[in-house]
Amino acid sequence: MTKKLLIDPAKMLQPGELTFADIPLCTYQKTVSDVKDEFTREELVHIYRDMWIVREFETMLNQIKTTNQYQGIEYFHPGPAHLGIGQEAGYVGQAYELTIDDYIFGSHRSHGEILAKGMSAIEKLSDVELVNIMSNFFEGETYNVVLAHTQYSDTKDIAREFLLYGMVSETWGRQTGFNRGLGGSMHAFFTPFGIYPNNAIVGGSAPIATGSALFKRCNEAPGIVVCNIGDGAIGCGPVYESMNFATMDQLTTLWEEGYKGGLSIVYNIWNNSYGMGGQTSGETMGYQEVARLGAGLNPQEMHAERIDGMNPLAVIDAYRRKKELLAKKEGPVLLDVVTYRYSGHSPSDSGSYRTPEEIKLWEEYDSIQTFGSQLVEAGIATEADLKDVENQVRQDMIWAVKLGKDPQISPRLDLKADPDALADMMFTDLQIPSMAPDRKPDVLQPYEDNARVKRIAKRSRTAYGPDGKLLSKNQVYQIRDAVFEAVMHKFYTDATFVAYGEDNRDWGGAFGCYTGITEAVPYHRFFNAPISEAAIVGTSVGYALTGGRVCSELMYADFLGRAGDEIFNQMAKWQAMSGDVLKMPFTLRMSVGSKYGAQHSQDWSALCTHIPGLKIVFPATPYDTLGLLNNALNGTDPVIFLESQRIYDMGERFQPAVPTEFYEIPFGEPDIKRAGTDITILTVGATLYRVVEAADILQEKYGVSVEIIDARSLVPFNYEKVIESVRKTGRIVVTGDACERGSHLKDFAQNITELAFDYLDAPPVVVGAKNWITPAHELEEYFFPQASTIIDAINERIMPLKGHVPTSNQTEQHQIENYKKGV
Amino acid sequence: MAVAIIMPRQGQSVESCIITEWKKQEGDPVKEGDILFSYETDKASFEEEAKASGTLLKILAQEGDDVPVLENVAVIGDPGEDISEFLATAPENAPAEAAPAAESAPAAEPVKPEAPAATGTVQSGERLKISPRARMFAEEQGVDPSRAVPTGPKGRIIERDVRALAAAGPQPAESRVPQGALDAPPAEAAEFEDVKLSHVRKVIGSNMLKSLQTMAQLTNTASFDATQILAYRHEVKAHGEGLGLGNITLNDIVLYAVSRVLPEHPDLNAHYLDDRMRLFQHVNLGMAVDTPRGLLVPTIFAADTLSLEEISAQAKELAAKAREGTISPDLLQGGTFTITNLGSFGIESFTPVINPPQTGILGVNSLETRVRDVDGTAVPYQAMALSLTFDHRAVDGAPAARFLQALCRALTHFPLLLAR
Repeated sequence: MTKKLLIDPAKMLQPGELTFADIPLCTYQKTVSDVKDEFTREELVHIYRDMWIVREFETMLNQIKTTNQYQGIEYFHPGPAHLGIGQEAGYVGQAYELTIDDYIFGSHRSHGEILAKGMSAIEKLSDVELVNIMSNFFEGETYNVVLAHTQYSDTKDIAREFLLYGMVSETWGRQTGFNRGLGGSMHAFFTPFGIYPNNAIVGGSAPIATGSALFKRCNEAPGIVVCNIGDGAIGCGPVYESMNFATMDQLTTLWEEGYKGGLSIVYNIWNNSYGMGGQTSGETMGYQEVARLGAGLNPQEMHAERIDGMNPLAVIDAYRRKKELLAKKEGPVLLDVVTYRYSGHSPSDSGSYRTPEEIKLWEEYDSIQTFGSQLVEAGIATEADLKDVENQVRQDMIWAVKLGKDPQISPRLDLKADPDALADMMFTDLQIPSMAPDRKPDVLQPYEDNARVKRIAKRSRTAYGPDGKLLSKNQVYQIRDAVFEAVMHKFYTDATFVAYGEDNRDWGGAFGCYTGITEAVPYHRFFNAPISEAAIVGTSVGYALTGGRVCSELMYADFLGRAGDEIFNQMAKWQAMSGDVLKMPFTLRMSVGSKYGAQHSQDWSALCTHIPGLKIVFPATPYDTLGLLNNALNGTDPVIFLESQRIYDMGERFQPAVPTEFYEIPFGEPDIKRAGTDITILTVGATLYRVVEAADILQEKYGVSVEIIDARSLVPFNYEKVIESVRKTGRIVVTGDACERGSHLKDFAQNITELAFDYLDAPPVVVGAKNWITPAHELEEYFFPQASTIIDAINERIMPLKGHVPTSNQTEQHQIENYKKGV
Repeated sequence: MAVAIIMPRQGQSVESCIITEWKKQEGDPVKEGDILFSYETDKASFEEEAKASGTLLKILAQEGDDVPVLENVAVIGDPGEDISEFLATAPENAPAEAAPAAESAPAAEPVKPEAPAATGTVQSGERLKISPRARMFAEEQGVDPSRAVPTGPKGRIIERDVRALAAAGPQPAESRVPQGALDAPPAEAAEFEDVKLSHVRKVIGSNMLKSLQTMAQLTNTASFDATQILAYRHEVKAHGEGLGLGNITLNDIVLYAVSRVLPEHPDLNAHYLDDRMRLFQHVNLGMAVDTPRGLLVPTIFAADTLSLEEISAQAKELAAKAREGTISPDLLQGGTFTITNLGSFGIESFTPVINPPQTGILGVNSLETRVRDVDGTAVPYQAMALSLTFDHRAVDGAPAARFLQALCRALTHFPLLLAR
């Protein structure tokens, strides 16, 4: 959506045909003899050595998983082991050309990528740099183990041991591992070497790696990003969404000079022909060749190629050429790297989906055998030299395995001695106003010159006029203004801060929160995302964990289903899964709808509160919105920021005024919106205003004094204020617009029952939305809590009100019948 | 079938009671509702009604015995009935339940003191439907919640029902103030009389002695111009009834003023504990009441949150109950500061004794006419003196004086204080 570009009907309706450029398939055919002059002897031998390191590591794990021993060392490993025996040439070839500024993201089968990238980094870094990295990582905890037991004196040799030991101990869940043992086999990574998280969700790295590439582009950071996923991942929607995100036209048509061009990322598809057991080409996919997909995504066909992944030289060649393209911002690139794993998907694989003959055929292309023979043929090394390399690798592996299995040397997180150790890692809880304090934020105009800023300055920051009467909506500072102010403030204080989502730019967001930002902030910091919720959230995760701050938006909370994995498995977990090596300064705004029926009017807060690792807030006033959003945008934790479409135009009715100076409201503190003595009503979100209505009626008609507590936050939550209130009143209703069953309201009620049982005069009563679909707007009063249903529930369940005539059925019998029916 | 009579629990904090007098003797016929015996705690006295009819078969505890609550003190049944099961366990470990429990349970089985049957009331066997809050409140008030009229959902007794019950008075039986048992030896009757000390008297005595022995007490006295409070009281008397206001006494006004001024002087709204001061959020005002059995000090809880009218009403009710001897022991503790008034006896100044572990007590003295010089003319006015005793361990002289000064100021300009 931009007025800068014309949609020309003459062009749109012009007859003709699309043509495609040829996509090369395995065109590189050279062997060692052909490139003898391009590589030194040492480089060629190191390629051979690194492939052996990968194979020996995978062989070691395979033996431990299947025979509980490796080289006579006994060990039992109950955790996962997804091995890539056979895929070594691809791993080593890719890593060969990458520097520590080039980031790789991987999958559940990424041990080889990590080891190869690590070896490459060790070759490229100076001894001083290596010692710095190792001694600063977890205050040298891992390095000290290596130093105490090393077999070597040379720094590079020690660094190699460090890499092996970090991987072995991480795989076995040891505190000295690369991620405190909290990532394990499928999630290990080591950012100082440019090795970023590997993901156990198939295709899970695609949006995250794309977000990392977005970070590099927006912040002019050096290097490229490589997204390592398998051919099986091509069946996953988020992978397409990501490739589309990286190719979107605005990157070349609209973004500013210096930021123009498709994202600098390689989608590296390890095409081993299987997604677990399903054969991709021929059975579960229709592309036949993964490389063909490039033609569907942009006119450059993503520079797609099929590469011989059994030949490390072919992979090195491909990366040399593609890195040049990416340096010119001509990405993204799609590589279809053909490879094969002889090992099963995991040690439990019985091979029922393929024949031994097929495996045998591929073993004849074995990269280590082939490359070894080529080295001998080319006179680079003798058979004896190669045997020495293999033996050296094995000796180092035995050393690492012995260290890694020793519980004294490599302990696990001691949750007995320190039961909160993991709890304390769930959030980083930092306040960092700018993620790049040395940089000046890139904006298009001084803050004060912004038209919306000027307009807001004229508005009353309280809903009431001097006469105590409500002002008209147009005169007051609204909730949407609070969203604007917090986000604008961050644009002007944090140079890394970006915001995007559907219809954010030009339109100003579907609900007008962002009106005026288009004039203030350039495209590369504020843009329209494609309708790709998984990519919106997933790229934000990647952006944040790479070091930036981001606020993206899902127009309706109902759309979070489209980004389920990205919210529940990625956004929520990467801080703790990294042992807090990563931070997640990512606020996801989500609007709870109404009036628009069953798929646009749902409060899905409970889906989020169920997942550990997310902070969730739901303000209902301008004051709370500004304070909580300021806090969210200063923090380093992932925040689900819920808003309600019912009240974007609401002025401030509870505070004397919304302050003009910067302030924050801490998460987790509920707010007493009205003090009372007879009954407490704990409310979530926009229901607050119906609660106020109920409280007025209860006071005037029945003489019941209501204490209204606005939860404001769902996670974290301080129960003390609520318990204190219940101790006083003895009665509580919990209400909100979420469907009652399994809602967070029920969770509140349960905890209050436990914490205040002796003080309760009746069980806490939950008044949520019905367990139905949301009906048409005209019928919503029967679906969402109303003042009348709240009062009916009090009358029926808590304290019969003299003379009250209920208008809804709140009886226990009705509840039982409903639950029998499943509603 | 024979049933045991137990020593009731009067308030959460009471562990035992002393039987002061048996009104029935062994062998007497007993009707439900008859007074069986009177008993007292260190703070109040009570009478126990029969919950069953029959014959008083056995008395298990004698007058003067200190009996742990919930233990058997007597057995009612039909003449000739076997009562051995009650005798076997009394007084060590009385069974909480009547006969049926005995058939399989060994005699030494631990009792369940909280079980409804243990109260001795005749329950229909239906579980009492009562909210946790109502139950807690009933315990605090020392009332039997089964007497409450349920108004909650589905016949549940809720807080307001117990409140209604407590407001109606805890026991329907007319209470009588027990006298210290006279034990006059006939020979020396002409010269003097030995009166056995009541339990209440003993407790007062030991508390007062302890107070003076263990604290560094001293007293300040200051007076204030009572013109305004007298005018206010006059106003209430003249016109208050039309507004539904009850009689408000000068003492009520002092109570109110203290409740509002004291929060700014937390060291005087405190308990002095050996290693620390416990400062209270609310003012729980102890109010010394002269009763036939001696000094009692009921408490107006959270007086700082009550209006003048509420304080006045509570003061009246507490004083009446204290005099009748029907006050719950729970209302005779928990004070954070005490007020004692000897003004009606014409006392002009005195040194009240602190009720430990409180840190202060305020004595209210009589009104007296003073004169002051107004433009060379002696103008008479009514003044009232206040005597503040404080514990110098907790509070120094100046801060204590500041409190007294603030209080006098507040009372001088009393109508202003009502805004708080």
